[in-house]
Amino acid sequence: MGGTLSAPTLMAFGGEAHVSQAMSADFSFNAAQRALVAEVAEHIIPRTTTPGAKEAGVGAFIELMLKDCYKAQEQQNFLDGLADLDERATKTHSKKFLETSPAEQVALLKMVEKETIELMRTANVQQVKVGDNVDKEVISSKKMKGTPFWRLAKELTLFGYFTSEQGATKALDYVPIPGRYDGCIPLKPGQKAYAL
Amino acid sequence: MYLNIDAQKEMTYDAIVVGSGISGGWAAKELTERGLRVLCLERGRDIKHIEGYETAMKAPWELPHRGRPDNMAAEEYWAGMRTGYTVNEEHRYLFENDSKNPYIETRPFDWIRAYHTGGRSLLWGRQSYRFNEEDFMANAKEGIATDWPIRYKDIAPWYDYAERFAGISGSKDGLSVLPDGQFQPAMELNCLEKHVKSEMMRKMGRTLTIGRVAHLTKPQSIHTALGRAACQYRNMCMRGCPYGAYFSTQAATLPAAMKTKRLTLANNKIVSEVLYDEKKGRATGVRTIDQNTMEVKDYFAKIIFLNASAIPSASILLNSKSSRFPNGLGNDSDQVGRNIMDHHLGVGASGEFEGFEDQYYFGRRANGVYIPRYRNWGNDKRDYVRGFGYQGGASRSGWGRGVGMEGFGASFKEEMSQVGKWSMGIGGFGEVLPNEKNRFTLHPTKKDKWGMPIVVFDAAYGENERKMRVDMRNDAAEMLEAAGLKNVQSYDDTSKNLGIGIHEMGTARMGKDPKTSVLNKNNQLHTVKNVFMTDGAFMTSASCVNPSLTYMAMTARASAFAVAELKKMNL
Repeated sequence: MGGTLSAPTLMAFGGEAHVSQAMSADFSFNAAQRALVAEVAEHIIPRTTTPGAKEAGVGAFIELMLKDCYKAQEQQNFLDGLADLDERATKTHSKKFLETSPAEQVALLKMVEKETIELMRTANVQQVKVGDNVDKEVISSKKMKGTPFWRLAKELTLFGYFTSEQGATKALDYVPIPGRYDGCIPLKPGQKAYAL
Repeated sequence: MYLNIDAQKEMTYDAIVVGSGISGGWAAKELTERGLRVLCLERGRDIKHIEGYETAMKAPWELPHRGRPDNMAAEEYWAGMRTGYTVNEEHRYLFENDSKNPYIETRPFDWIRAYHTGGRSLLWGRQSYRFNEEDFMANAKEGIATDWPIRYKDIAPWYDYAERFAGISGSKDGLSVLPDGQFQPAMELNCLEKHVKSEMMRKMGRTLTIGRVAHLTKPQSIHTALGRAACQYRNMCMRGCPYGAYFSTQAATLPAAMKTKRLTLANNKIVSEVLYDEKKGRATGVRTIDQNTMEVKDYFAKIIFLNASAIPSASILLNSKSSRFPNGLGNDSDQVGRNIMDHHLGVGASGEFEGFEDQYYFGRRANGVYIPRYRNWGNDKRDYVRGFGYQGGASRSGWGRGVGMEGFGASFKEEMSQVGKWSMGIGGFGEVLPNEKNRFTLHPTKKDKWGMPIVVFDAAYGENERKMRVDMRNDAAEMLEAAGLKNVQSYDDTSKNLGIGIHEMGTARMGKDPKTSVLNKNNQLHTVKNVFMTDGAFMTSASCVNPSLTYMAMTARASAFAVAELKKMNL
């Protein structure tokens, strides 16, 4: 019901991005990719006073989602994105991504984020409302094929973390059975957002 | 010989109700409570109240894909995918697999089905509004389709009756466009909704009210006697409600009918046709196919209620051919399967609000706000006829806002754990005009796995709907802006087809003249008086309000009439 915006999902319209894509039900990460994904997710949602992405099992969730819910283009984008992280690390530090320091990793990811935002801007990706609770991002350029790696990684990390038991119950306010509705109450200091 | 008679006796009832959804459940309740022995035939599996709601108590992390449809489901539930929510993991088990239940689209139609005990009563939006006086007169005034054979005063007492039993929560607003009813206490508006309500009234003279919804907020003995409890504000209704708080067949009408000990519910029985006795000029029963064993079995009764929903009920008529009715039972008018209506939606606006930052809410209200129709009402005149209402609501954003934002790491995580900005969205629900060119037919040769002819849709929105959508989009943005919302974005999703409102109506319309309509003012087939239809098929026009409450009221009305006629030996 109204107003609760779902996490936006990148949808391709028109151009090359619209080619029908085969499913790859046999998609999986190798051990190195698995370790890399877990680390990237932990950078997005690190352990603080509450559990981070690793404790919430976000890496395995991303792998499952890519396998079951995404098509070949996004799966490939994700694998390419992981390879790109190692390439960047090798170029700047002559090491694989996971062998660089945490600060170096953050700097590399910031660069990837910046470039992704720029790519989506030049590809003229626009977030538009297409339904009462649905946002879509429309790609009107052929520069971009499907959702870019960073965007996918971020969306799946946030989604995987905040809907996990660790994330929903520790980082958010999880109220399975509210029992009543109060329309208008003061926001308490330190009040977390509701998990549901 | 003896055995045959015995078997026929066993399969003979006073009444047969085809379908167990919202209207079928009401027919079963009303007919049994009025003393009839009733057989309710459900084409799908049984789903028991509470224990059958397999996902009702699951936490998000207990759903493998956290609710999202996987590729396999997306392919098999191809029609469901068009809604954007029905294939979600948490309630997919209550929707039909479209690949296993194919249909053909000469023009595209979004057909969302639920074949099991309770039908779509387990899945409905629960918004419950009365038609108004104009709704029953507009066809006649404007010369569109055919006139309703009833007026508001004919249905009003039955609305009272249906509302009391179903339990409709809402506020009395004193508006002729949205007649008040017998309400459970209203749910509350939140801060931003209250603000928008007062600004809309002050600046534009338009009403915003809390949705009228079939949820118990203060159960009465009539409800608790059936085991129903008050809404717990979980907003997980579409999984099935373990508290019986919203109206469904399982929570309300089925236990009421069972209490009489006069109801037999038979699952897995697909009704293929109504059996017609040419000499008597009346229906004698129905033929069924068991969906699992394929066994063909006939059942007999004095009266038959078709409540399979608008498309299947009309399909049964079309498939019931005899020398008296070569084009399908009761179809002298050739109106069966025509005039498909729905509500058109997917058009509206949303915006953000700066302010009320120190205000929040508690609980998940499974209901939104309602803005009743104001177009073509009173002195307002547009370049289209009829009108629309809006449904929507306000809330504070959560972590979803982070997906498109720059940033990651500890402070970003902290921010995502906090409550975000207020936003509010409203989406239009518009009236679709009846048009006899909007129809479905049965394919002459293609059949489903049970040997039933496949439904072929040839229907679409018309010019009136397209014109109306311009207002629906612009007005939504205008009202939100007038109420002080910022970054208001409007939208009009033109990818949706007729059917997307999941309010199929009109395929066996009521009317005064048997030459131009299928049912009379009592929901009887004009030409076969012991066959009644009280699902969406009977609707002569659609109004812009959600239709289920009208089905409930009309089913109760027709049931009372049918039993009275039986007693008078008229049927």
